[in-house]
This record gives sequence, structure tokens and C-alpha cells, in this order.
Amino acid sequence: MIQGVRDTFHLVLRALREARRQPAVEIGNIFIPMFFFAVTVGAIGNVAGRAFGIDNYLGFQMPVAILQAVGAGNAGLGMVTDIERGYFDKLLLTPASRTSLVVSRLCADGIRIAVLTLCIVVVGLIAGSGMATGPLGVLMLMAIGGLFGVAYSGIGMALALKTGSAQATQLGFLLFFPLLFLSPAFAPKAVFSPWLETVATFNPVTYILQGMRGLVLEGWDARALGESFAAIAALGVLTMTLVFGALRSRTA
Amino acid sequence: MTAIAAQGLMKYFGAEIRAVDGIELSIEAGEIFGFLGANGSGKTTTVRMLTTLLRPTAGGAQVAGFDVVRQPGMVRRSIGVALQEAGLDDLATGGELLMLQAQLYHVPAKERRARVAHLLEVVDLSDAAERRVKTYSGGMRRRLDLAAALVHRPTVVFLDEPTTGLDPISRESIWRYVSELNKSEGVTFFLTTQYLEEADRLAGEVAIMDAGRIVALGSPAALKSGIGADVITLEIEGGTDELARAELAVRALEGIEDVRVVDHAVIVYVHEGSAAISRLVLLLDQASVRAREVRLHQPTLDDVFLRKTGHHMEARDAQAARAAAGGRA
Repeated sequence: MIQGVRDTFHLVLRALREARRQPAVEIGNIFIPMFFFAVTVGAIGNVAGRAFGIDNYLGFQMPVAILQAVGAGNAGLGMVTDIERGYFDKLLLTPASRTSLVVSRLCADGIRIAVLTLCIVVVGLIAGSGMATGPLGVLMLMAIGGLFGVAYSGIGMALALKTGSAQATQLGFLLFFPLLFLSPAFAPKAVFSPWLETVATFNPVTYILQGMRGLVLEGWDARALGESFAAIAALGVLTMTLVFGALRSRTA
Repeated sequence: MTAIAAQGLMKYFGAEIRAVDGIELSIEAGEIFGFLGANGSGKTTTVRMLTTLLRPTAGGAQVAGFDVVRQPGMVRRSIGVALQEAGLDDLATGGELLMLQAQLYHVPAKERRARVAHLLEVVDLSDAAERRVKTYSGGMRRRLDLAAALVHRPTVVFLDEPTTGLDPISRESIWRYVSELNKSEGVTFFLTTQYLEEADRLAGEVAIMDAGRIVALGSPAALKSGIGADVITLEIEGGTDELARAELAVRALEGIEDVRVVDHAVIVYVHEGSAAISRLVLLLDQASVRAREVRLHQPTLDDVFLRKTGHHMEARDAQAARAAAGGRA
């Protein structure tokens, strides 16, 4: 068990080193959510109060930017690269557990996304979003962003392990935008048409978003946070089931 | 002590493809074992089964005293593996890659730095230790891969075509490291190769694989002497008619062991070859066939390969390469 934790730690450091050595990728990962954050607030911010009753649209949008940063999860693509280069075989030949090889990349994604979350929050605060729950709230946002990143990256990881193909792994990204746009990302659920409201009610991203928004706009809300973590856990159970199924089929 | 053993080892992919079709092995500790075969003969599949990366369809195998199916973890702790194409992490430096290997093989923390530095020195990569692997040449990558396979002092090392595609100097240096490690530390090497010269030079014992089966097994010297004759190659002018006439003509020679026709040549295995040459040329002349070139030589591993499989290893690979090129076009 302890050895497994050590192996995972060494492999997490390796995955983070990869990220450090590809700064252009990380610049892209922070630029895209920031761009949509600025454009959305610029386009809708002035009318959001009258249209949706939201005065602080900057704060309302900041969690959306954080969720968009989750799309930067690249555990699956990193795994595909290792598989294609034959390095995954080399790792499989070590005594490190198969679980460590997979979990380490997912953990590294969680850490990267937590750091991207911090960058977005700092920009949001400078722009005037405010933070109703203070510094502890920032840490909580980082935790939610990171954990959602781990759960969501499982989709790409499962595709990578199952197919060993970069193209197939990138299909995981296609799922991301429907999940985001079928949630109250740009307006509160109350103004949605009935069909969209129903879809949003069953979308786990809705609850993750609401938990994060509560931290930014309203203050500590145990119920909203509980729902947020429950949604992440539900998504995580689903994606990890896929990941370990795919791992078993690859290493059988 | 037996380092590697296999009993009826098989691997089928679907019902049609018998990649490895029941091989038997018994390799003594401290030996360099050469596993020869053309592309697609089943060498790499055998290595992947012996190194626990692939589960056998049937049969059994033990490596370093551990069963590859029931004790895969113990096998992995005991072996070092450098697979074909040197799978490495291009974003890491050579030193970082070896350090991660040392960490994952649980080399004690106090020894790791010294072990990594020693191995970099052994494979002449100390000066490149801080450079990223993606900047390494093919030869440097193979040497780094070899070092990575040795980081935890394994007793058995599998090298899957370690010198394929390398220039002669890099190939020579890999041969030197393998030979030195075998002599100094008694490491058992299981070396798959397409290069007959490599097997001849390094291996104490070789197996020749063809279509998933071992068709010859023994020391290179014993296999060559097993041919029991000199080899005369007659390069024939003309087409298939001339080749057929030439084959028929030379079969009339007394003391002949075997005759094979490969490409444009008739290959004759005969005792006292120097005395037979003039008679062979005469027989060809009587059959109205001209030989463009006549060569006499002692048997090589390629002759053993030809005798056992009916084709030259290089010829089969060239055909495969041409087919692959045609498939891509």
C-alpha cells in the first residue's frame, strides 16, 4: 500500500514535469477559458441584471471559466502518447501497480486544473468578481475544480486505454461542451425553457456549477456544496469504472 | 540453474493466427541466448509472453524461477527488458528517465543516484544525461533503453532486436555492453535478432523460429557443423527454366547432401566442396546452363536458416518490406 502511494507520487511528478515542459499547451489551456470568460461577460454582463436578475455576472461566470479549464485535462492524451511510443509497456514491466500508472496521471490532471482554477480566480478577483467565502472559498473552488478534473479526465483515460488511439481519445472532449452548455452556464435555470430545465436538472455539471457559484456569490452553503461533491462522486464512479475496465482489457 | 524455461508455449490471436505454436525452451543462467527469426516468425510474441506483457493461450513458462502467469510480479522484479523500438519518455532527460526506473523498481533511495550515474557511464551517456531523450540519436536511445533495463540489477535481461536500424558503430557498442555485462555480472540475456552475425557473435546457443515454431536449436558452431558439408552457391543466368535445368543437373553429382533453389541461385551442400566445383560447372555446361558466379564457403547461420526453413532470413524480410511498401502506396 505504502509502496503503491510512493509509486503514484513518483509518477505524478513525472506527469507534472511533462506539463512544465510543454508551456505552450498550458498557455492554450488558460487562454481558452479566459477568452470565453471575457467575451461572455463583455457581451451579456450589462444586461444580465435586467434579463436574469444577476448583478454580479462576473462572479456568475467565473465558475464557468473554471469548468472550461477542466477541458484542459490531458491524462488520456498523455497515456496515448506513452502507449504509442511503447513507454507504457516499459512502465507495465516495472513492479509498480497498474493502478498507480493510471491514477498518477489523473491526479496530475487534478493538480494542474486546481492551479488553473487559482489563475482564473485571481484574474476574476482583480476584475471585480468578489469572493463571498474569502480565501477558504478559493481553496474550496480549487478542490472542486481539481476533483471534477480527475473525474472528467477519466473519460479520456478510458478511451486511451481501450483504443490506444489519439483520435479516439480526443472524442472525449466532444462530450465536454454539451455537458457544460446543458447546464445553467450562461443564465439561471429559472429562465430556461422547460425541456432545457429538465435536462439541466439531470446534468451533474449543474450541481457542480451551483456549488461553485454559491462560494463566489452567496457564502457557505452546505447543501449546495454537498450536491456539488455528490455530483463529482457520481461522475467519478462512472468514469473510474470505465477506466479500470479499459485497463483490465489492455493488460489482460 | 535454468533461467528461462518454456513448455508447449502457445499464443493464438483468434482462431486463425498461430503466432507462437508450442515452443520448448530451457536456457541456463549466465547464457546469452539468441532467438533468430524473420519478421512475423513469433519472436516478439514469445518475448511478450516471457516478460508477462501477454498471457499465453496454452503451455507454460518460468523466468528466473517464477511462473509467468501465476507470479507475474516476481518475474517483473527479476527481469530487465528492452523492447523493440526503445519505448522511452521523450520529454524526460536521460538521467530523469533512469531515476524514475530506479524509483519504480524500488532501488533503495541511498543507492539510486550512484546507480544511475554508473549506468550512464557504462553506456557512454554521462555527457548527455541532462539532455532530453527526444534529442538522442537512435543509437543513444537504444543504449539508454539498455541502461533502463539494467537499473535494478536483473538476473535475466530480454533484448528484443536491440540493434535493428542502428549504424555499425552503435551496433558494435551494444554488442560490447551485452558481452561485458554477461561476463562481469553473469546476467542471462535473451536476445531476439534478425541479424545472423549478431547471434553468431554473441550467443552461446541459438534457436531459429519460423512460423511460430522453433525449427533449430543449439550452439551456432553445432548448428553450422550439423550441415555437415560445404556450401556452393551457383548464381544462374536466365530464368526459371534455366534454374530448373541447373537444379536437375547438379543433383546428379555424387556426395551431394542437399540442393536448394533461392531467387536466382542454386545452393548445393556437398562434402569436399573445392573438389566438387569443377564437376558442378561441367554438369551445368552439359545442361546448357551458364553460372554467372560460383562461390564456395563454410556453412553460416544463414545456411542453417535456409536449410531449416527453405528461405533466407534476409530474403523473407525484404519481401515483407516490399509488401508493406506496396500496401502503403
